[in-house]
Amino acid sequence: MAIRNLLFEHREIAGIEEMDVYEKLGGYEGLRRAVTLERQAVIDEIKTSGLRGRGGAGFPTWIKWNGIPKNTDKPHYLICNADEGETGTYKDRELMLKLPHLLVEGMVIAGYACLGTAGYIYIRGEYVEPAWQIRKAIDQAYKKGYLGKNILGIEGFNYDLYVHMGAGSYECGEESALMSSLMGERGNPRLKAPHAPLPVHEGVWKSPTLVNNVETYCAATWILKNGGAEYAKLGTERSKGTKIISVSGHIAKPANYEVEMGTPLLELLKAGGVTGGKLKAVIPGGSSVPIMIADKLDKINLDYESCAASGTMLGSGGFMVFNDTTDIVLLMKRTSEFYMHESCGKCTPCREGTRWLFKILDRITSGGGREGDIELLLDICSQIDGRSYCGLGDAAAWPIVGAIKAFREEFEYWIEHKCSPIGDHAVPPTPVVVNPLLTLTPA
Amino acid sequence: MAESVTSNIREPQPTPAKESRFSELAIAELEEIASHYPERKAACLPGLWIAQREYDGYLPPAAIQEVADRLGLSYSEVEGVATFYTMYNLRKRGRHHLEVCTCLTCAVKGAYDVVHKLEKELGVHVGGTTADGEFTLSEAECLDFCGAATVMQVGDKYFTQLTPDNVKQVIDELRNSPDYTPAKLADSIVKVLVPGASATGGGSYSAEDLKNPAGPML
Repeated sequence: MAIRNLLFEHREIAGIEEMDVYEKLGGYEGLRRAVTLERQAVIDEIKTSGLRGRGGAGFPTWIKWNGIPKNTDKPHYLICNADEGETGTYKDRELMLKLPHLLVEGMVIAGYACLGTAGYIYIRGEYVEPAWQIRKAIDQAYKKGYLGKNILGIEGFNYDLYVHMGAGSYECGEESALMSSLMGERGNPRLKAPHAPLPVHEGVWKSPTLVNNVETYCAATWILKNGGAEYAKLGTERSKGTKIISVSGHIAKPANYEVEMGTPLLELLKAGGVTGGKLKAVIPGGSSVPIMIADKLDKINLDYESCAASGTMLGSGGFMVFNDTTDIVLLMKRTSEFYMHESCGKCTPCREGTRWLFKILDRITSGGGREGDIELLLDICSQIDGRSYCGLGDAAAWPIVGAIKAFREEFEYWIEHKCSPIGDHAVPPTPVVVNPLLTLTPA
Repeated sequence: MAESVTSNIREPQPTPAKESRFSELAIAELEEIASHYPERKAACLPGLWIAQREYDGYLPPAAIQEVADRLGLSYSEVEGVATFYTMYNLRKRGRHHLEVCTCLTCAVKGAYDVVHKLEKELGVHVGGTTADGEFTLSEAECLDFCGAATVMQVGDKYFTQLTPDNVKQVIDELRNSPDYTPAKLADSIVKVLVPGASATGGGSYSAEDLKNPAGPML
């Protein structure tokens, strides 16, 4: 089993969230090593490691870090995207709850490398407990002189770290919407490169801004402590290191598993253990990625390239397992309801399209399915995909296209027989429909 | 989530009277938090959290007006923000706001059974508040603790691994707790934002503690 605990090395140790225990186990050595290097050498270390963004997109981290201009008099801001909202993902929650210093140290290292003025950790509003651990860790780091003025005695290395709490919006996990939200606005996304400047040139308050995921900063800490080459020894040719996979669903041991990139998907399933029936499907990277049918899983490895080659994505690592009591159509209805609720409403294809996807799936699962509904769903999906400012619309369309591809006969069964192919064990439909505007009467 | 679309829409109300319900401590907190950003506008979200605490767990128009006045923003700007985010309550909630996650993993692990049980137990539908004002029941989108499904958030706490059988116990426990959870949640979030707040272990501190600009209480 290719479980490799790098970030999670000390997660079972009692009191690891406190400064003294963390330091005793080699904490802040990464930062101490980083400040002995030139700033560019720190970025090169990240480059050597081959670390890619762990939030879902898998963009090479060093390119972002390197992109921050070195000769502006503008302040530089660093943001940690801890607005974890992807269905099925709870890795950032555990990282912040148990290993808050790993994140704080990573952000100070990035602050050193990118000449940061201030860092903001944007945490979703629901995560009060993890945020409290981060608060404690930041306060302890200030006391120890890892934050504040002239950090570690280096003249001019001034860097502050703040917590910013969200207030309930999935959309704010998207980079540009997160920046809007941090500036005190509605969480709407903005136009992106190449039509607008990159955040590393013009992000929050028109200043260079670095946005990375919690896991990415934590990995940077490990890399600076142990060396980029050490990290690059793990993984595949293009996906280096480890990835934390949050396993949930019909599984005996749901937990966060840190696995080496390239681990066969089935090995992870074996470690978790499917419960309550035969394995039917797996969503490997959060609700936004296409669902995979059980008999095609043997070819998939957990790395960016292998997942993409199989027509799905590694995403944020929200690994959901479903056994044969799951009704895929009802599952997709619930998925589309999620995206309908979370669409910010800025772009028409996403705002209207997600609503129609839900309405049609709701009609099908209320026994009002019509011939041609499947084509209608696919048509709407193709009208949403790639036509809005951010990826939320795409993320709403992909799972449905994927589900129709893999489980078309279940959709057909629903439309023809007006009932679930699964029977009583399926996900029950939403119990009460409160708003009549959101339902279609079966025709 | 059909529920939040309906029950979180503001009732028509007259133009708010100028009111000031921010305590001295709340003003000190707002000023401290505003100093973290290059623009005061960025303190809009934290300001609304403070207001939600000061105005008994929800944001009437007067609360929006007060946040706008204190940050130099227009009423509509702040109202726009407050109506965007689902955790800002535009209507008064029950003493305990039960938010049951019914997203994918929770749904397949029986979240709807839990919701049904709660509906029966409390005598309200999703989106409703019990007659005694003790409980409001909602569905929530993914609370991201899928490994411990089914999950329910009440104020600043998560209740995990709920089933129709053990949820009654949670209700009884909540009934006996003295907290007013919507305001308590806002209070916890504000404390998370204040540097040095961990020195009090989440307890109270005074406006005087926040006076030192170089990181209060540190």
